[in-house]
Amino acid sequence: MVCIRRATVDDLLAMQACNLMCLPENYQMKYYLYHILSWPQLLYVAEDYNGRIVGYVLAKMEEESNECHGHITSLAVLRTHRKLGLATKLMTAAQAAMEQVYGAEYVSLHVRRSNRAAFNLYTETLGYQINDVEAKYYADGEDAYDMRKNLKGKQIHHHHGGGGHAHHHHGAGCCSGDAKEAEDAKATSSK
Amino acid sequence: MASKFGLAGGIPERRVRPIWDAIDSRQFKNALKLLTSLLSKYPKSPYALALKALIHERMGKPDEALTVCLDAKELLYKDDSSLMDDLTLSTLQIVFQRLDHLDLATGCYAHACGRFPNNLELMMGLFNCYVREYSFVKQQLTAIKMYKLAGEERFLLWAVCSIQLQVLCDKSGEKLLLLAEGLLKKHIASHSMHEPEALMVYISLLEQQSKYKDALEVLSGNLGSLLVIEVDKLRIQGRLLARARDYSAAVDVYKKILELSPDDWECFLQYLSCLFEDDSMWKFFDDIDQIHPTKNIECKFSHLTEEMFDSRISSASELVQKLQRDTENSNLRGPHLAEIEIEKRKFLYGKKNDSELLKSLLQYFLKFGHLACYASDVEAFLQVLPPHKKAEFVGMLVENADSVSASATTVLGQTTTILKVQELTGNIFELPLGEIEASAVKLAKLYCQNLPLSKDLDPQESMFGEELLSLINNMLVQLYWRTRDFCYLAEAIMVLELGLAIRGHVWQYKILLLHIYSYIGALPLAFERYKALDVKNILTETVSHHILRQMLESPMWVDLYNLLQDYLKFMDDHLKESADLTFLAYRHRNYSKVIEFVLFKQRLQQSNQYEAARVEASLLQLKQNADSIEEEERVLENLKSGVQLVELSNEMGSRTLRFNEDMQTRPWWTPCPEKNYLLGSFEDFSYCPKENVNKDREENVKRSIQRKSLLPRMVYLSIQCSATALKESLETKGSGGDLKTCEELKSLLEEYTKTLGSSFSDAVEMITEISQGARTFETLGSDLVDWLNFAVFWNAWSLSSQEHWHVLNMLFERLILDRIKSMGSSEMSSCYSDVQVLVQIITEPLAWHSLIIQACTRSSLPSGKKKKKAQHSDHLPSSPMSQAIKDSIHSLCSTVQEVSNWLLNKINNPEDDQVERFLTTLKRNEGPGQVLGVLESFIATSEESEVGSRIFESLKTWSKADSARKTVTAQQRVLREFLQICESKRKLLEKLKQQMTHV
Repeated sequence: MVCIRRATVDDLLAMQACNLMCLPENYQMKYYLYHILSWPQLLYVAEDYNGRIVGYVLAKMEEESNECHGHITSLAVLRTHRKLGLATKLMTAAQAAMEQVYGAEYVSLHVRRSNRAAFNLYTETLGYQINDVEAKYYADGEDAYDMRKNLKGKQIHHHHGGGGHAHHHHGAGCCSGDAKEAEDAKATSSK
Repeated sequence: MASKFGLAGGIPERRVRPIWDAIDSRQFKNALKLLTSLLSKYPKSPYALALKALIHERMGKPDEALTVCLDAKELLYKDDSSLMDDLTLSTLQIVFQRLDHLDLATGCYAHACGRFPNNLELMMGLFNCYVREYSFVKQQLTAIKMYKLAGEERFLLWAVCSIQLQVLCDKSGEKLLLLAEGLLKKHIASHSMHEPEALMVYISLLEQQSKYKDALEVLSGNLGSLLVIEVDKLRIQGRLLARARDYSAAVDVYKKILELSPDDWECFLQYLSCLFEDDSMWKFFDDIDQIHPTKNIECKFSHLTEEMFDSRISSASELVQKLQRDTENSNLRGPHLAEIEIEKRKFLYGKKNDSELLKSLLQYFLKFGHLACYASDVEAFLQVLPPHKKAEFVGMLVENADSVSASATTVLGQTTTILKVQELTGNIFELPLGEIEASAVKLAKLYCQNLPLSKDLDPQESMFGEELLSLINNMLVQLYWRTRDFCYLAEAIMVLELGLAIRGHVWQYKILLLHIYSYIGALPLAFERYKALDVKNILTETVSHHILRQMLESPMWVDLYNLLQDYLKFMDDHLKESADLTFLAYRHRNYSKVIEFVLFKQRLQQSNQYEAARVEASLLQLKQNADSIEEEERVLENLKSGVQLVELSNEMGSRTLRFNEDMQTRPWWTPCPEKNYLLGSFEDFSYCPKENVNKDREENVKRSIQRKSLLPRMVYLSIQCSATALKESLETKGSGGDLKTCEELKSLLEEYTKTLGSSFSDAVEMITEISQGARTFETLGSDLVDWLNFAVFWNAWSLSSQEHWHVLNMLFERLILDRIKSMGSSEMSSCYSDVQVLVQIITEPLAWHSLIIQACTRSSLPSGKKKKKAQHSDHLPSSPMSQAIKDSIHSLCSTVQEVSNWLLNKINNPEDDQVERFLTTLKRNEGPGQVLGVLESFIATSEESEVGSRIFESLKTWSKADSARKTVTAQQRVLREFLQICESKRKLLEKLKQQMTHV
């Protein structure tokens, strides 16, 4: 429902305001910025008819064991706007971008064991499956389900990196620019 | 020159690794030990020195760190054969940055790049340095060099971004954009383009120059395929077509988007704008400066004939009907809301279709009225209606609400919605008292009836009827306001506290409570509720307005200090670290985000709250130390004698201030921190929607910052003036004070009065007349404390005038004693706003005046060692000024004593009695108390099987008496804190009195 659009940096103010209203987790500002500056294609907000941000999804790319995959970091919808299908729309948008922009093979997420509403959304509506249980994953000691969903794993549509120049990448992080290149390499070698 | 494999800064990696490990695990002593042995082998290695500097810095020895860093830098510059690799430079960079010497780090990289002009790694480091400094021109030049060297697309884009930033932030000439466009064109011609983000930058560059047609060509050409998500591409296309005024083509594109996503509201509005050839929407999108931008867009129709309007509106209707048919089985609201939008446009055009508009709103209610979002969905439509139509609409809703056939949740939802619409339209303020009361009772019953629905919900899930308690609270507060019967407020507290006991996470309850507790002076409890909101990070910027102002006007200095520190630390850290994050976006080639992020940083930097908080933090220190002139002088020294703050004050006029606070979460009675309707009377009230409160605030906030940032300097100058005044008056009967200091103080006083909207001479006349009783102090309005501050510094500027001393004494006496008299024996709950003013008078103007007296007496006393033995022989003859000081001390002393007495009287009132009184107000047979009655009888009769164990438990453990006691205790604490301040002032004045007996 409503306009699901990519988040801008300015949206961070309203996105964190959502957190005040619906999530016990409240990430550091830097964490949000890290996401939006690294994988801006994976952040979506639900903007309601009067221009308010009423939900958002925060996601990132991760690369472990040669499988480039996406990870949903956070999903929030205002209590006043629940049961309208917003969460599904946000998730679908982020998953599509993971697949189409970054060529992700699967997407993972964590959910509190006690959060039945979210668990149902992930399993029944969105088709996630339990991959593992992570004991005491949350700060308050609660366990998390590690859940996964396979994406179609389409090949990515764009190429960059301009003719085999060596790129310089500093330190930390995975995916993003680097991952895109890794995918490029894969795509080239399979041709 | 660059680091070879296995070598770090010319030193074998295996020797360096343990040092880094030790640093990372914070074993700095160990790191230093290892480093010393490394240095003995490589005494001239800049890298080893850089590491040493890093360790020193981490150990909290900034001076040593800087010295070592400078040594390393000198070695780098001097020794041609020395290693100049990125590792050494980046290590130095880290230390320099932490020591706030970005310029030195940049210097090192610039030097290195000069020496090795073809080293890409070093150039990247240099680029990064310029990013940290926000030096966009230098960024551009460096990126171009890198592009020329390596030919990589990303470096070109770095340069283009740097150019865009110059235009956006430095307001450089737009000709630069042409240069950037040329560069990109040339690159595309030879290398094409490979990244979607690069394409976005290219398009935005063309858009910035209004070259919409060119942008469209690019988008529809080969490069367009870089955008893989179809709707994204269409949106850009539609926007470009609209801006190129090719409206019919734009309409087709928007139709296509709507068919793909029929619920895209923004797209629908853009579709309508294009249909009506109206460009006002785009202007609107260029100007968003609120956390929740309003989308109540003005519509322009004047250029359309009626015939044109009719034909276009009917094609819009057709599209909407088609969308409704296509989405019949889903619960999409967009297509139905679109129907209302069409009626609204007709209405604004002058079609006199108000009944159709109401009908469409009612239709929407019948479909979605049970949803929590109904009221906010229709808010913008209701605003165009005249008041009597709004009232009519509420009537229609009541009539049509389904109370028979519908499920319990639908009835609950619809009832809640109707109340929210009543609030939204201001209709609720027109109802008679009895009706409001009856309505509140009805809602309370509804809440109780529906509790069983939430029996099996997870504790973090929203409860059925959760909003009812907020609505009840809003009504009770209104009832209090209109009747001044405190019982309603007490009842409101109980309702919300019970609500919190049942559902601990509901932020609305916490915010409402916070404001009620603030109003009745139970500030510690208000602060507790605020803390329960878990405000962190950027929320300190958007949410702390709820509590900040009350804390600033309170005696709760410790909590205030923490509040300010937490906020300022977050903002300072963010502004310091954000440049590092900017580079993250460059590195990940998210160019559009680079621009957004730099603009976002600017937005935070220009935050009005940030500026104000910085000034307040300085003032708080001054207030806290004002009882000891020596301590105060130390604080002033740290504040550079207030010089920087005066500069801030001077600049404030031309500064842009941004308002990032989220005011929409505030309760109706205090739509912004400066306003509280409860302090005025109901009769003077005219309901205004909460929207855009920030617009009116800008002037006031600016002036207040301007004014307050002059204070530290005025305190400083006054002390300087006073230091010599008495002695001089005793010795030479001169006018006192150093001439230059006096002149500066005078000019600041002139500035200060300007911010009060007055001239210096008018201001003097005003305070003189008030002191004589020729004018009432109501004339001073809400700036009363500021006027008193003026009077204090005006007296300090002219200490030799006995008359001025007298005016000041009278002002203090009048303003303080009148207030005490009017408070009389009232309960704290009804007179806290007076207490707040007293707190401010005692902790600001009175504190500054006592400081001035301290400065005067200090100078008249024999100093240091000779003090004791020379005490009696050093007696100075009395002068008119010393007499004036004595009189002033005497007057202040007895005035402060009066305040203390009043406070003691309150504090000595046994707590149990107060709790009892609080509770008795709630026990009445008619009028207030009924809502609580409903809730209490439900608690008494509810059963576990009915509401579930969790809710049952909360109902049974909640205690009215507990809540009452907590409120009373909190109020008492505020009084005690204030008493402590008063007592400390009184002791100081007694001491000064003693000292003056020797003069």
